[in-house]
Amino acid sequence: MNVRTLIRSGLLAIGLVIWIASAGLAAGDDDCLTCHGDKDLKSGRGRSMFLDAEKFQASVHGQAEIGCADCHADLKKVKDFPHAEKLKPVDCSACHDQEAAQLKSSVHMQPHRVENPIVVTCADCHGAHDIRKKDDFESSVFSINIPDTCDRCHLERVKIKNGGAFVRQYQQSVHYKALQKAGLSLSANCVTCHGGHEVKAAGDPLSRVSRKFIIKTCGRCHVGIERDYLEGVHGKDYVRGVKDVPVCTDCHNEHGILSPTDLSSRVYATKIAAVCSRCHDDERLGRQYGFLTSRLKTYSASYHGTASKFGETRVANCASCHGFHDIRTSADPKSPINTANLARTCGQCHPGAGVNFAKGKIHVVSAKTESQGSHVAKIIYIVIIGGLISVFLLFIAADLFHRIRTRWTKP
Amino acid sequence: MDEAVIPPSLIRDDEVFLRMNLAERIQHILLIVTFTTLIITGLPLVLYEMKIFKALFAFEKAFYIRGILHRLAAGVMIANILWHVAYSIFTKRGRNNFMELMPRFKDAKDAFQVFWHNIGLTGFIYKKGLFKAFFDKHPYWLFKEEPEFGRYNFIEKFEYLGVAWGSLVMILSGFFMWNVELSLRLFPLWVHDIFIIIHGYEAILAFLTIIIWHMYNVHLNPEVFPMSKVWLNGKITGHELRTLHPLEYKKIAEERMRASAKTSETK
Repeated sequence: MNVRTLIRSGLLAIGLVIWIASAGLAAGDDDCLTCHGDKDLKSGRGRSMFLDAEKFQASVHGQAEIGCADCHADLKKVKDFPHAEKLKPVDCSACHDQEAAQLKSSVHMQPHRVENPIVVTCADCHGAHDIRKKDDFESSVFSINIPDTCDRCHLERVKIKNGGAFVRQYQQSVHYKALQKAGLSLSANCVTCHGGHEVKAAGDPLSRVSRKFIIKTCGRCHVGIERDYLEGVHGKDYVRGVKDVPVCTDCHNEHGILSPTDLSSRVYATKIAAVCSRCHDDERLGRQYGFLTSRLKTYSASYHGTASKFGETRVANCASCHGFHDIRTSADPKSPINTANLARTCGQCHPGAGVNFAKGKIHVVSAKTESQGSHVAKIIYIVIIGGLISVFLLFIAADLFHRIRTRWTKP
Repeated sequence: MDEAVIPPSLIRDDEVFLRMNLAERIQHILLIVTFTTLIITGLPLVLYEMKIFKALFAFEKAFYIRGILHRLAAGVMIANILWHVAYSIFTKRGRNNFMELMPRFKDAKDAFQVFWHNIGLTGFIYKKGLFKAFFDKHPYWLFKEEPEFGRYNFIEKFEYLGVAWGSLVMILSGFFMWNVELSLRLFPLWVHDIFIIIHGYEAILAFLTIIIWHMYNVHLNPEVFPMSKVWLNGKITGHELRTLHPLEYKKIAEERMRASAKTSETK
């Protein structure tokens, strides 16, 4: 064997290896691309049948060397090309059986609207030939891109019960800002709260955003707050299954969750009273659960409440004294409004606050029984004001009467 | 002393007397400015449900500025009051005015008399021929004459004493509201609550008194409408003195007669 034959057979061997290696990847796909590589290829209905091979190669399936016929399975049996125009829809469940099962039980696979039912399949969110891994920046399901992907349908095409504006509120939220502006991929996007493949209608009791699961859902990220909440009166009643008790979204809003320091937030210092009083001024709820009502009215009558109404943020609001996530009853020794803790609670703003802060009532519903001193002072003043003003008006009337009379009688 | 005794030449109708000197006028103007500021910046807290006040304090930091203005006006008003107190103690004119402003039993009588004179009910009854014997025996009850006032009539005295009382109440209660921590070191919360009630209601009382009583007497009263100018130029004419403050008029006339008698004696 001379050197030449050695080189020749060596080259042949290398070529063979390359050929065999490349045959596994693209032998069939090249056949497909002879037609589908043509940019002008159109289906009978005019849809473009072009496949961008480069994009496919970059996709997760392309990278994994999955060929056309692996997904378009009925092509395996086809011998004559070009094949029939109509192929069976791709069945992802052959590989992704778990996800497919989840999707099947989701609202997307249930034709949930009677007329004009909509069914969402894998490709609607993930794309088809250009599917990328979810941590790929280009992926339609990359956490930062998810809102755009969902919004493709949920802003306009699919009318949800609360309307597109309700969905759009998310774009004002602190979660969206964190996602888009700060680039925090861990911030909540649609999927974080609603679930991905298993997404359920918000009204579905099994939905992650239903009353039953919302605390857990928010608590997945805000775990310390979940702990606090479950220790407070609201959380304890929530665990007992009380239907009227507020959950996260009742105070913080749903899509449009804003930072408490945001002027438009429902829990902004000057607005929080309105949120709390939705329940705590409700006579029916007060009777049912045995709490005192007229909280907003009595707060508004105080300097704190009045100043807050005029937009002053430094005065005490509900949360300043009662706490927020772990609100406790005044009987609870851990409560900031427990008599033993009042001096410290008031002392946050009033340095050196002593025991005198506790010697009186804050939410005075009936001054007659709860704050006699003020009540008596008020009555005295009302009598004095009423009396004096009456006397003034009588004197003025008499004076005018006299002037009119004398002018008439003495021309 | 009868009017007939006073020769008209002694006090001419167009002679000008000084009713309010410059210091008194400045005190009054300062009182107007501070009172108005205090009302505008304070009343919204009492009548917090009225939308008009929310509109007034709609801009940013409005509430903070409101608080600053209120305290500033309070400070100026207190300084003004201190000035007035010193003025009333250390100047002869101030002392004299103060003594003239002190209420007497006559003022109650005057008020009573003015009221029934204006109503004219007893005169009407008398004219109808009822209780003729009683009225003939006691002509006072006919209230035929208007009472004669001194330098200050009962209305002016009432207003002055009202301001004095109101200032005292407002300064005391306001001081403790300004210094909540101090107040609650000294008093329990329920006493502090009374300060707040008093401050608010006294403000309403003062506001209504000024708007109704003072505004009528110095502005809307047909006698002075549209406005008595005394608070601006401090001047009052001999004619006004004779008709509105006859007792002071007589007092001045008497002094002049005595003085002229003295000069003629020395001659």
